[in-house]
Amino acid sequence: MRPALLALLALLSLALLAAAPARATTSIDAVARDLAREVGAPFEGRRALLLEVDARAPALAAPLATALEAALSAAGYAVTPWHGGGDAEGRARASGQDWLLRVRAGLVPGLPSPREAGLGRGLVPGQRDLAAVGELIPAWSSFFLQRRPDARAIPPRVVQARTAADPETFLLAREAPAPGAPFASVRTLVRLPGRVLALAIGEAGEPGRLAIVAVTPDAVLVLSPTGERLAERSAELGALRPVRDPFATVAVGDFGGGRIALFRAGAARGEVLALRGRALERAGDLDAAPLCAGEAGLLFGELEPGTGVLRDKLGRLVDAAATPRSRRTLYGAACAPRGGPVAHAVLGTDLRVELLGPDLRPVAAPAPLASGSGFALADLDGDGTVELVASSPDPSQPERIRVLAPLSGAAPVLETPPVAGAILAGAAGDLTGDGVDDALLAAVAPDGGHTDLLLVTTDPREVR
Amino acid sequence: MSGRTLTIVLLLAPALASAGVRPGYGGTVRIGVPVAPHLAPGAPTAADAILERATTLPLLDPDAAGSLAPGALAEVPSPEAGARAFRLRLRPGLVDASGRPLGAEDVAARLAALARDPTSPDGWIALPLLGADALASGRAPVLAGVQVLSPTELLVSLAFPLPDFPWLLATAPAALRDAGPFVLAARRPGTSSPGDPIALSRNDRTRRGRPFADALELVPVDPRAAVRLLEQRKVDLVLRPEATGGRPGPALLAATATVAAVNAARLGAGAEAVRRALASLDRAELARRFVRGPAEPLASLAALAGAAAPPLSPAPGWAEPPAPARIVLLADSSVPDQRALAERLQVKLFDRGLRAQVDLVDAARARTRLASGDYDVALVAVLLRSPRPALAAGQLAFAARGPDAGRRAMAALAGLEGERAAAAADRLARELDLFPLVTSGLRASLGPALEGFAPHADGTFDPGDLWLVAGGTP
Repeated sequence: MRPALLALLALLSLALLAAAPARATTSIDAVARDLAREVGAPFEGRRALLLEVDARAPALAAPLATALEAALSAAGYAVTPWHGGGDAEGRARASGQDWLLRVRAGLVPGLPSPREAGLGRGLVPGQRDLAAVGELIPAWSSFFLQRRPDARAIPPRVVQARTAADPETFLLAREAPAPGAPFASVRTLVRLPGRVLALAIGEAGEPGRLAIVAVTPDAVLVLSPTGERLAERSAELGALRPVRDPFATVAVGDFGGGRIALFRAGAARGEVLALRGRALERAGDLDAAPLCAGEAGLLFGELEPGTGVLRDKLGRLVDAAATPRSRRTLYGAACAPRGGPVAHAVLGTDLRVELLGPDLRPVAAPAPLASGSGFALADLDGDGTVELVASSPDPSQPERIRVLAPLSGAAPVLETPPVAGAILAGAAGDLTGDGVDDALLAAVAPDGGHTDLLLVTTDPREVR
Repeated sequence: MSGRTLTIVLLLAPALASAGVRPGYGGTVRIGVPVAPHLAPGAPTAADAILERATTLPLLDPDAAGSLAPGALAEVPSPEAGARAFRLRLRPGLVDASGRPLGAEDVAARLAALARDPTSPDGWIALPLLGADALASGRAPVLAGVQVLSPTELLVSLAFPLPDFPWLLATAPAALRDAGPFVLAARRPGTSSPGDPIALSRNDRTRRGRPFADALELVPVDPRAAVRLLEQRKVDLVLRPEATGGRPGPALLAATATVAAVNAARLGAGAEAVRRALASLDRAELARRFVRGPAEPLASLAALAGAAAPPLSPAPGWAEPPAPARIVLLADSSVPDQRALAERLQVKLFDRGLRAQVDLVDAARARTRLASGDYDVALVAVLLRSPRPALAAGQLAFAARGPDAGRRAMAALAGLEGERAAAAADRLARELDLFPLVTSGLRASLGPALEGFAPHADGTFDPGDLWLVAGGTP
């Protein structure tokens, strides 16, 4: 081969490499790089820097210190990590460091991007940012301040950076539970008027921003993870065939024109909705009942005509020709948000819960499982296997929430005192932003006048 | 959602269980009742009322809170022309169990049928309609007070102002036939006996949608059988005067009201002595000791629930009136507790120097003898159809004294409530020579699987709302 051709190929390769997308950086890398940029280049050639990083979640501190060390080194600093606690500034002075950079880091409510901020948007519901705030403290002795050895040579300054947190950061930022704390806590997230028929949690609009979708007899509501109302659409009730007990299914996932799909009992078809800003717009129709969605995929079903219960017919696709698995009827289905060996569960009108794998084949449970109509599958403790968050299967008894480890067959890991109302719907997703699933249950007041959405979480900030 | 829409949704939603189990579909709900339904025109029993509610579509639905909600009618009609006219608008698309469309003509036909037969126990419902008396007597071929304006609209004109008229439309006899949540299953002649269960199958075409249960059975049960069958899960609900185990449900109060009617025309001068004897009755004692099941003294013809029942006041007069030699006390043997009440009255009359002969006869003969005046004192028991004072008084007056008295009672108490209604009812009772005695109800005993039992203010419930947890399987 001619040398000119070889040179051309080499140049082409370089051009392709340059055009290739850079490897996506993690939130930790990004915030470390931004903070190092804020610190700037070494002042007057003073490079020696003692780095102290602290975070409310201990697991976050070390990776962030590593990332900061790398970013500051790239900026020209000679970084010495400090893990000793105590008087870090005294230590910096004693060891001849030029600077002490003391950093605090953690997750904070998300801010809009600069473009969105220009549009006047405030906090972004559903988004969590990794934030780092540092104090850059001069540690060298000033010639002019020899009579006051503790005085700082120049004024210190504050540096800070933030970026949207990625799932890995959520995991690291998770605090350890307090000693003696219960497995999970339950609190009312928000109270909604009327009866909530169905719940779903997912990225209903922009990617990365979780939302709650609640269906009532009259409307579809989109709420932030903290319960603020983001969008609402009134139901088109005229076309419904009468059903004695109102019911609906809803799921958040990829449904083509929109990410919210629902099916009301009595309706001829389901509907797909798209969340555009604060508007919830109809984006299409659906010929099946969307039951739920998780990492294992979407799950579709079919209502028994004229009723508020489902046929035992499950599928990944809209398939009118599919045959039911059995003659029994179902109250509903749940999807594990992050998949796993137990990816789905269905609840029969006989109140038996059946676990299903990602392939929709039954997963044997060591003991029979039962629940009332509202239930959810959620990996509450982040161990990779879901918990069953169940309501009471005995209508003559007061309502309670039970958290069961369905594959261990042991006693409930949590059973609450009686809760007000009847739990009729449930869903799961990471609403607290701690990196693991939470469950959300709809407890309808006895007179049907309002519904409390109950948050079941193991987030240590909630569990005390 | 508007407040009104929300209210309607709440009214029509079936009662939720304590814990969160939504209603399931399927199974057969079996209801134990004291006696089998008559399945024929006549004084209705509690079982007849359940059967009627199961197979008919009410024009309006009374709820547990004491309000009316639209039923077959699209809205609760508002009074016009000083409560002498009401415009009824039906929901479009109503059909009966066979799929036949139902409309304004069917409502008009139902009201005319009630007006045409003045001897029917339900004839009182048509009393306020303009021209009802002319139709009943054959002087007019049609009911003048009902005009069909369109397939879904009709105008009803009344003979006198009656703001309570919508409550008349909420009664089961005014409801549209064969359009309820269930239909009576066909019986082959000669294959059943009077004690057999009455079987009904579900009607998916009913307005509120498919009932939860696939089938309904009404099973006549005595108290001992009721306890046993409830334990064995062979019945899911027992409605009897006494509790029969299981979970206690809400009592159906004010189901049957009993009044004593004095036949002054036959007693002549002896009537006053009889009145004084009846006025001396302790109604609280009657309710407590001589009526099974939940009972209260009937304070007045207005049948106000929970109203205090002071001692009946005899007519003023210092002289002891002359007593008749022997009086006939007529009572209907088919109504529970009438024998006990009649015998207690016999004792009380004896204490006052009056000898009474108790004549217990069946329902048809009791009505005939009452109408012909063949009695001295009659116990008149009525299954009350409405909680409104004017309508309760009208029904009682109609049953005891006929159509004119029924009209008079409704007009006298029209729109009245509380103390004003009670005072007007007291005056009416004196004028009609009626002595309100007791009101009695039924207790509900629920099996472990039954849910959705939520009686309305008029003591009825929608059998289509009953459902079985886990399909009724233990």
